[in-house]
Amino acid sequence: MIIKDTVCPFCGCLCDDIEVTVEDGKIVATDNACTLGTSKFLGDHRMKSPIRRVGKEWKEISYDEAIDYTVDMLLDADRPLLYGWSGTHGEAQCVGVHMAELLKGVIDNTSSVCHGPSILAIQEVGHPGCTLGQVKNRADIIIYWGCNPIDAHPRHLSRYTRYANGFFLENSFRDRKVIVVDVRKSQTTNLADEFVQIKPGCDYAVLSALRAIVRGKGDDLPRTVGGVQREQLFRIVDLCKKAKFGAVYFGLGLTMTAGKYKNIRNAIELVDELNRHTKFTISAMRGHYNVYGSNEVNTWMTGYPFGIDFSRGIAFYNPGETTAVDILARKECDACLIVASDPAAHFPRPCIEHLAEIPVVQIDPYANATTAFCDVQIPVGITGIDAAGTAYRMDGVPIRTKKVLETAYPSDEEILGSVYARIQEVRQP
Amino acid sequence: MKVMMNTGRTVDQGANVENKRSVAYRDETSTCFMHFFDMMELGIDEGENVLVASPYGRVVLTAAADDLIKPGTIFVPYGPYANHIIGGETHSTGMPDFKSTEVTVDATDEPRRTIYELMEELGGLPYDH
Repeated sequence: MIIKDTVCPFCGCLCDDIEVTVEDGKIVATDNACTLGTSKFLGDHRMKSPIRRVGKEWKEISYDEAIDYTVDMLLDADRPLLYGWSGTHGEAQCVGVHMAELLKGVIDNTSSVCHGPSILAIQEVGHPGCTLGQVKNRADIIIYWGCNPIDAHPRHLSRYTRYANGFFLENSFRDRKVIVVDVRKSQTTNLADEFVQIKPGCDYAVLSALRAIVRGKGDDLPRTVGGVQREQLFRIVDLCKKAKFGAVYFGLGLTMTAGKYKNIRNAIELVDELNRHTKFTISAMRGHYNVYGSNEVNTWMTGYPFGIDFSRGIAFYNPGETTAVDILARKECDACLIVASDPAAHFPRPCIEHLAEIPVVQIDPYANATTAFCDVQIPVGITGIDAAGTAYRMDGVPIRTKKVLETAYPSDEEILGSVYARIQEVRQP
Repeated sequence: MKVMMNTGRTVDQGANVENKRSVAYRDETSTCFMHFFDMMELGIDEGENVLVASPYGRVVLTAAADDLIKPGTIFVPYGPYANHIIGGETHSTGMPDFKSTEVTVDATDEPRRTIYELMEELGGLPYDH
């Protein structure tokens, strides 16, 4: 059986044109998906049943026993951390926020270690963004800054930019200019009309120089800024000002380097300056497929996008204090529930050292690096493969993901719902 | 040799990210991409191991020549090997220095460890079923 128009559950592009071939209860082939999407659809090695660590051994347990352990762990904790959420659907994220509030715990999602700084900048100066469809149909200049879509969002160029013909761009490859700014060459820089290689840590200075040129103050600039020749900076500004519609996409090359959210703020302000001459937009290349949804759900429910601390009985948000890396590195939380992410593979060492010292439950379909630190792991269906739900694309468009496979695994929402109901019995009798 | 460590997504890292016990994931995330000139200075060939150290820890990676990498910098795909030597300071933003950690790189005869060996060092228990 071939299921058309399936939504890919890997990255923030949420490509919705995937054809999945299912035979004998297994996905055997995909069409249109990139390497990343294909590997996710075809993935195997799922964990078969919940497991519990007993001394130096792993023991299989029932779902009821796993839920019992999770409920007891969360009710016993003074400062539980509920982390992850980006690989699951909005419905499960809602349950997570309710649970964090009732437990007076902290809920954080993976955006605190990807585009959290971008959100901080947006809170300061706003977000002149647009949907991917607008870019595909209108943008005659694209700037990729600090990102490598060929590796991280492989179909972004073919669906929306370099190779995508649009309503106002009959021959995209000829009519659309692509500028790539990065500290290193990559497969993406090879496809650029103009590659700007800057010195590591100099994004802020280069953005400021571009703003100065747009404002007509370029004569004051030195011969090079952040390793970039002045002439090249002038050329880029000239291209941008002549464009009918420009779109900047930025990645973790801006959020993870020195300056962090200030880099993004400067990039947004550059776009602001360019809008005095032409139409320009800027958006983040969101990585985890529903990380944007996690920010949305948290914001509707609490007013804040990530790093929300309920210990005061109200929602409190202070990135750097209430974010997962900080709470773990300070050895502050005394229990951790991890949903749809793998902090042991993606967090700095001091955080993982603390995970080893506290009770941890993970809800995830696969054994991963975090499994080694779990007291209990509960395998679930994969949202977008054997569980349906709502996910947000990188441009903020909500898309309903499909269930293409029938398995016996419960969904994240079902497991979290059971845990939440039991917590309610105790905390809200 | 002192260098700046950058980390990031690669296709091979992303394609195997849901199968972290695979050899492909281990091989990709434990690769230290560096410029050939820097490898010459260290006296190492492609495929030989390097010891990468920071104030937060040390880890053995396998060197791979890549002329896309600037001399004086290394690139390690996202994953447990790079994070083994990254600190928890976030400068009040929630975001660690994933792309700007200063490290030293030296030739070594030490073997590269598995992901679960790294996790064991930090207090974890491997799950190999």
